[in-house]
Amino acid sequence: MEYLSLLIPIAYLGILIGSMATFSHLYRQRQVNSKLRLAPYFGPHTTRNIYLSLLHLQDQADSSSSSTGTTKVPDSVLRAALLARAVEDIQRIMEVRTRKPALTQLLQRGVVGDEIFQRLTRAEQEMEIELKDVVAEANALAPNWGQTIFQSANEMVQNKVLRDKLDAVKATLPVEKAAWDAQREKSRRELLGVDSDPVAVPVAQSAPGQLSLAEQAARAAAMSAVTSSDDDGVIVESPGSGQPTASTARTGGTGAGAGAGGGKHKKKKGKR
Amino acid sequence: MASTDDALETYTHLPLHIDPQTKQVSILSSDKALQDAVAKINHLHSALKSLETPNNVPPPPLPVNPKRSGNIQKLRESATASVRKGQYADAIRLLGVAIDMAAARPGWEPMGLAREELALMYQSRAAANTGVQNWVEGLKDAECSLECKRGPSNGPNGEKGPGNARAYLVGGKCLMEMGRWADAVQWLEGAIETEGKDGDDGRELVRQLTEARNHVEGKA
Repeated sequence: MEYLSLLIPIAYLGILIGSMATFSHLYRQRQVNSKLRLAPYFGPHTTRNIYLSLLHLQDQADSSSSSTGTTKVPDSVLRAALLARAVEDIQRIMEVRTRKPALTQLLQRGVVGDEIFQRLTRAEQEMEIELKDVVAEANALAPNWGQTIFQSANEMVQNKVLRDKLDAVKATLPVEKAAWDAQREKSRRELLGVDSDPVAVPVAQSAPGQLSLAEQAARAAAMSAVTSSDDDGVIVESPGSGQPTASTARTGGTGAGAGAGGGKHKKKKGKR
Repeated sequence: MASTDDALETYTHLPLHIDPQTKQVSILSSDKALQDAVAKINHLHSALKSLETPNNVPPPPLPVNPKRSGNIQKLRESATASVRKGQYADAIRLLGVAIDMAAARPGWEPMGLAREELALMYQSRAAANTGVQNWVEGLKDAECSLECKRGPSNGPNGEKGPGNARAYLVGGKCLMEMGRWADAVQWLEGAIETEGKDGDDGRELVRQLTEARNHVEGKA
């Protein structure tokens, strides 16, 4: 009887612990399974596939037939492939690093599900192993290359980003150029005859004195000479010098002053 | 789906082929992405072959090979001389060559250097373009310069690097010359936000902004 009374609590404990262990085992297995069923975060790693394919191409050639030994992959090609792989890795790491904080926040607010976050963490873990693998491969291909391969790859990625941005800016040039040409043509037709001396008007307005007037006229001439096609200075000079003298005359200054201005201006021109 | 371990132990074998003479990799596939990746590797391979380092491995980013920098510097100096003489077309041509050269820098050279160089050269070309009244090209060059470098930079030791206010100035001038006053106001407000109002360039920015604002209000 005493024996039986001891058996009951033991049996109770046994059943309790047993059921808990079974539950936890099943639960964990299901979790692992669901994790395995998660889609990978990134698409196929093309450059890694290429690199490994190249490596194994060599093996195949060695083992299958010695006659086709010419398909041996040169080390330089392997190095290029490995560098491409490192570049892809850097891009992926950057992606993970930029997305993780944002995704954590979204997860805390309950906007996104747990699944996508798990996929990201798994991708991160995979990347760590992948990096170590690349460093080991680099060291095998060239001594001490493992220390610098990711520095190089990083610069390559950054440079590419910059180039892409610049190309994007340059791509908008033809459109804006055409728009501007059309607009300018339009306004030229509107202001036909009026827009001939935009430079001369401010000169006429200020008119502080004869000497500075001449100075300004010379500068205006220089500017118009520069602005029109500047390959042939001699041809440009004749309309350029005509314009400022006309403007000085229009200010109503003395004829002699205008003449002196013109003369001064011509001297300046000669020096240039 | 592949498990974690699986994904790292396995790979997809691709039908690659190597030409023994030219050492070019080719692939029997119609997938555009794959073809692109292989082409990139071939390109990289030829770039690596021309290196002088042992094992033809790209060198660490620092120190930089001084040859290209010297050439670019020379071109830039002659361009500056042309601008001073008023030969803007020459300057634009020279800077175009220099920009191409800087852009052709192999990718593994430090990006910070390329940014500095390109920012300066695009800015000078923008200024030269305004000299021959190519407002659109000037504006685009200014934008490129700003893509390379925007706002005052902080050096590694906390020292202040100069910003890129002059590119903003040139771009603002181009916009105003084209009569796009509203755009100019927007552009200059952004400029003052990033560059601040300090220094000569900052004051010039403020002056341009007031001018552009006056025009916008005068029109409205």
